[in-house]
Amino acid sequence: MSKLRYLVIYLSLVVAVVLMILPLPDWVQIYRPNWVALVLIYWSMALPKRVGLWFAFFTGIVLDTSQGTLLGQHTLALVIIIYVNMNFYQRIRVLALAQQAMYVFALLLVNQVIVAWVEGIMGRPTPLLAFFGAPFIGMLIWPWVFVILRDVRRKALLS
Amino acid sequence: MKILLQARGASLQALFFVVISISMMVVDHRFHHLEVVRTNISLALSPLKYLVSLPATGGNWLNDWFTSHTELLEENAALRAEGRILNARLQKLEILAEENARLRSLLGSARKIADDVIVAELLSVDQNPYRQLIEINKGSSDGVEIGFAVIDDSGVMGQVIHVNPQSATTILISDPEHAIPVQFVRSGTRSVAFGRGSTTQLELRYLPATADIKIDDDLVTSGLGGRFPPDYPVAKVTAIEEDRVRGFVTVLAEPKAHLDSSREVLVIKPRQ
Repeated sequence: MSKLRYLVIYLSLVVAVVLMILPLPDWVQIYRPNWVALVLIYWSMALPKRVGLWFAFFTGIVLDTSQGTLLGQHTLALVIIIYVNMNFYQRIRVLALAQQAMYVFALLLVNQVIVAWVEGIMGRPTPLLAFFGAPFIGMLIWPWVFVILRDVRRKALLS
Repeated sequence: MKILLQARGASLQALFFVVISISMMVVDHRFHHLEVVRTNISLALSPLKYLVSLPATGGNWLNDWFTSHTELLEENAALRAEGRILNARLQKLEILAEENARLRSLLGSARKIADDVIVAELLSVDQNPYRQLIEINKGSSDGVEIGFAVIDDSGVMGQVIHVNPQSATTILISDPEHAIPVQFVRSGTRSVAFGRGSTTQLELRYLPATADIKIDDDLVTSGLGGRFPPDYPVAKVTAIEEDRVRGFVTVLAEPKAHLDSSREVLVIKPRQ
């Protein structure tokens, strides 16, 4: 029964995936923040024992399938940033939301770099503006993501 | 440093995942073995994709439904209006085509005359059953004068008896008060054809019984009297009535001109 509470994590990730595949007008598409990364970062900060690299790996596979990128592209990026997060979350957790946001920006940027790098190797075009646009938007919305997921976590009585 | 050591277990895991990711990418790019994985996960994601596209699809469907209805109504009304206009034009077109044919034949016959001709149209018909008068739409301002001959493409119709500035009254050869000098084509016999009040019958009176006349003989204008140009078709003999007692024959002839149906006519200036 207590296991069901962990369903919220999966649900929040499903919502994140939905947000990633939501159809948007072309000019907005490139600024779409990486919701999956944001949600994953939060959960790995809040429940580091539960949400770790395995989560990152499988979420990455799902993201690769839905985004049409190579299997392993987002996996690589997410694994790396979650690994980094695992090493720093303790110090970041206590900071104010604004400062956390900057840390999240850095993580998202790393994510973006890795994905774009592989795209570049593949020979696919990578728009320059989107490079900073999406992580920037992600940074701006981090406070909301944090607060909403924290409330969800508390409601679900997860440590 | 301490942090890194603490995370040693995780580091190995991370390394493991990184290697797996890179190998997966290589395999996915070079070969297609991983297509199965992709397909299956896609399948699992399809409900989400469907969910996500619902608002857009629903919006489109609604838009189509409402727009189509309105558009159809508008299109319907526009097409009907166009249809009415086109129908009217079509009728006009048929009338014009017929008029064209008549005018062509009329002008064709005018060439034979090589006279000064004025093309005119029928304005009205005098409804008096005992008179055969018509109004044409050319008058003194067009050069029409009293005494001008009026013909159609098949034969002589009559002559002008009254002019107004914009119209003229024409007496037809079938009018009882009209007589036209004619000549038999075959025999050259000259006579006068009187109207009887019927558009299908002219009467030639007091012809000698010895005259060479047969049914279906053609009658043309003789040109005597100067009113009508000579050698223009007038009528065709339909019956010959003999009066044995007095020794005369009365010939009935049917006018060649379409006295009751012609709309376009030629007014001919007499040769001076």
